[in-house]
Amino acid sequence: MSNKKEIIIKATKLKKSFITGDTEQTIFEYLNLNIYKGDFTVIMGSSGAGKSTLMYSLSGMDRPTSGEIVWDGKAITSLNDDKLAIFRRKNCGFVFQQIYLLDKMSLMDNVLTASALSETSKKDSVKYANELFTLVNIPEITRKKFPSQVSGGEAQRAGIVRAVINKPKILFADEPTGALNSNNSTAVLDVFTKLHGAGQSIIMVTHDKNTALRGNRVLYVKDGKIYGECDLGGYTNDSKDREAKLNNFLKEMGW
Amino acid sequence: MKKIANQILYNLKKEKSSFISFGVIILITALILNCAAVLLRQVDSAYDEKFEELSTAPLNAIVPEVQSNSELEKAFNEAEEVEKCESHTAIMTEATVKDFNGADFSMNTVFYNIDDKRTLNSFELVSESENDVVNPIYIPLYVSNFGGFALNDEIVYVIDGKSHSFTVAGVIEEMQYGNYGSGLLCAYLPEEEFAELADSYSSKTVVEYSMSVKNGASLDKVTNDVSKAIDNKGVMVLSILDSESVKGARTMVTDLLVLILAAFSLITLAVSVFLSNFKVKNAIESEITNMSVLKALGYTSAQIVASITLPYGIVSLLFAILGVGLSYALLPVLCSVLTVQSGFSFDISFDLPSFVCVACILCGVVTFFTFMAARKIKKTQPIDGLRGNTSSKHQKRNYFPLEETKGNTKFLLVLKQMIASKKQNVMLFLVSFVLTVLIAFSGTLFYNVVVKPENFMSALSDEVADVIIYPKSDSVSELEEKFEDDNRVQYSLKYMSAIVKIEGKTVTAFACEDFSKVRNDVCYMGENPREADEIALGSALEENFKIGDTVKVTVDDITKSFKVTGFVQSINLQGELCELSIEGYNSLFAKKQTPFLYVYLENFENAGKITKEYKSDYPTLVADTVNSYKLQKEAQDMYMGITVVLVVAIFAVTIFIVLFILYIVIKSLLVKRRQELGIYKAMGYTSSQLILQTAGSFMPVSMIAIMLSGVLALFYMPAIYQFIFETLGVMKNNIEISFGFLMLFAVAQILVNIIISIILCMPIRKISAYTLIKE
Repeated sequence: MSNKKEIIIKATKLKKSFITGDTEQTIFEYLNLNIYKGDFTVIMGSSGAGKSTLMYSLSGMDRPTSGEIVWDGKAITSLNDDKLAIFRRKNCGFVFQQIYLLDKMSLMDNVLTASALSETSKKDSVKYANELFTLVNIPEITRKKFPSQVSGGEAQRAGIVRAVINKPKILFADEPTGALNSNNSTAVLDVFTKLHGAGQSIIMVTHDKNTALRGNRVLYVKDGKIYGECDLGGYTNDSKDREAKLNNFLKEMGW
Repeated sequence: MKKIANQILYNLKKEKSSFISFGVIILITALILNCAAVLLRQVDSAYDEKFEELSTAPLNAIVPEVQSNSELEKAFNEAEEVEKCESHTAIMTEATVKDFNGADFSMNTVFYNIDDKRTLNSFELVSESENDVVNPIYIPLYVSNFGGFALNDEIVYVIDGKSHSFTVAGVIEEMQYGNYGSGLLCAYLPEEEFAELADSYSSKTVVEYSMSVKNGASLDKVTNDVSKAIDNKGVMVLSILDSESVKGARTMVTDLLVLILAAFSLITLAVSVFLSNFKVKNAIESEITNMSVLKALGYTSAQIVASITLPYGIVSLLFAILGVGLSYALLPVLCSVLTVQSGFSFDISFDLPSFVCVACILCGVVTFFTFMAARKIKKTQPIDGLRGNTSSKHQKRNYFPLEETKGNTKFLLVLKQMIASKKQNVMLFLVSFVLTVLIAFSGTLFYNVVVKPENFMSALSDEVADVIIYPKSDSVSELEEKFEDDNRVQYSLKYMSAIVKIEGKTVTAFACEDFSKVRNDVCYMGENPREADEIALGSALEENFKIGDTVKVTVDDITKSFKVTGFVQSINLQGELCELSIEGYNSLFAKKQTPFLYVYLENFENAGKITKEYKSDYPTLVADTVNSYKLQKEAQDMYMGITVVLVVAIFAVTIFIVLFILYIVIKSLLVKRRQELGIYKAMGYTSSQLILQTAGSFMPVSMIAIMLSGVLALFYMPAIYQFIFETLGVMKNNIEISFGFLMLFAVAQILVNIIISIILCMPIRKISAYTLIKE
């Protein structure tokens, strides 16, 4: 089913390693991967397997040691830092586990700081930001508050608004609920589901099964390669089949 | 105590490079401050010691030999507080030293007989030629050092147009007439050469009365008593100088240097305080979690404050000691420069009180301000600290909310950053403002010395024509006719000068046939004299007389009354002068005086040619000629050289201070904002955008401060120059404050700031978006 979809990212013979002293530590090697438009791809794996490293390499946030990453037919591995930054602003949105909002700016300012890079007028950006804030259930009064004055869940939802304000081709999320309590996690994941429903392509790293259930495609990273892949199908609120399928898959993978 | 010591060591090790950069500025401050303190303490006492060692007379009066007599000396000896009076014959004359530091140098000079026995005003032989030299002369250290005359060199004195060539047989050091500031320079000749010169200039032979005073005597009272005694005898004084005035003149540059060093050390000390404050506040913000952990573990606030404050105290002390040590390498260089100007040599030794003061001031001030900044930690509850807040208060106000504020978002981000760094910006504003005062001062000096030199020279010099011609008696009219026929000459003026006494005070009188035609009108109040009974007095007499008063002027035994029409200035004579009309001047002399002619040319470039031509073509009419334009040009070039050095030095110091402050501020900011910059990069901001945004956040404040200070300079700079010139005796100056020039310097300063900021922000390029995830 995935094969018929439009490929956004094509990674070929990807290698990432770190050198510590005289020792080279390889995270992944000879890794080939396609990411498809409209998918909610979840990357899972044990701690230290290289999930985040893979995601950040695909997004142009980090550079692979070797191999090629092609976005819509254009290789990004050869871009210099500034060109890569321009590439990211046009194509990627990021949601981090630690949220990373600019702490001296209100939630709205955080979002508009990102939108300042787009060609959209300020007026339209403000309008769109307000729509997104409404979508993620952040009331007007909260939008004017500083990150330190809101809950973790609200901050993370504001982080998602900031990530999608420029309508990125792919929204990258690195353990977005990792620092949140159960209620806040659900609220945040609901936002991801809504966005995916609206056609947003998402790549999310997680080691939480419930979070992974929100995706339609699960990749399992192990021993420096994509160890397995599971097609969960579209998300529904009450799908025991999907949960069972994921459990089986993870069991197979040695989770 | 051990626990605190461990924390101090930990803090020192962790911020090693930061403490070193802080230490460097302390070292520089200590170096400058110690130089100032040592010079202040030791030059003065070295001067006094040498003064005593050479038995220098505190008071010296010079009178024409024809008027001196034993009664006068007896009167001096009988003056209440005079201990001893000693007299010596000398020759006093205005003389021009040829090739003095590359130019001709005119100065009132007193030639003494070196073989005269003297118990007062002794001298010390600094060096003496081992050869038998022809026409030997012993010159003071000032003439040797500043004029560039070494042993066995030829030195030519021109007196009344006649050249006298000598060979430098020795260099001497004395404490009375040994530098330009005292108004008289001395030279010593062996008996034979002295007698020969005295024969040639019998009218210039004088007697110098040197007086020592009793212990505890008031020098002012002695000077008054001696002046009265001279008055009573009806004697004309050519010079009366007390040791305090001479000391003031000879140590003027030292005092000025001490003042400049102290001012610079204050600026660097202020920078050090700002830096320590800034660093401590930064450290508290970035280390608040660790500090709160310590608090939670049971460390008291006092222990934590001590662990933050003491490293600064220790670093200040160590680098202050280093700075003081290094200052002893610089001091001999400064001393040799000061010796050239002051005309006396002195050695510098280690000065314990200065060292203690410098170390205590630096260590104390830094520790105090660091402590004040570190006290913040006391107010922080451990739980707030663990959450990353330095106080329980949250940020309240969102300046320039992007949603509501009109304008470009990227520009608004710069403004937001500016507000976030407001403390640094306030400091930058103050520093930029003060430095612009320095820049405006030097810029104005540059403009008036290099671009419009006539403005500066008019304040420093008296009337300067292009050529001065000394006619032979009765040839004035004939020469004037020749000038009228010479189309290179614009006009000429008769000029005369002599020493006169006004109500007991000896001053130099100048007479001119028409003061309205002079180039440099030195009259700063009232009018120049026009009638035979009119006089304009020098600024030194302004306190005693007012316009409309009548004063008595005496030359020898002739006394005439004149009405005061105004006041005139002269930097060279410290305001001790007067102006008369030619008729008024002549009325003071029984015998008709021959004036000299000030010649003003159509084109000053002809000055050299005309000087030579008139001397060679009209030997029967002309006694001597002086290329006055050349002399002025040489003086002008000298001032230009000094000004260019000064302007470059001030610019270099400004750049250094701005560089240092921006370096510390931007470096700390980059460390503090590392994560924030990573977030920006993740959003897609390029390094160039972030560099401009960060550098730009410091620019508006610095630009406003520079432009404001530059514009305000139009108002405060004339007052500064007026004050300086008034101190030098120049009541009216033509210093022009050029707005365009000020703006040019201000723009240059802004550009320098922008370039420095951008360069310092370059490390932003190395911060990657991925950094924030990895860290």
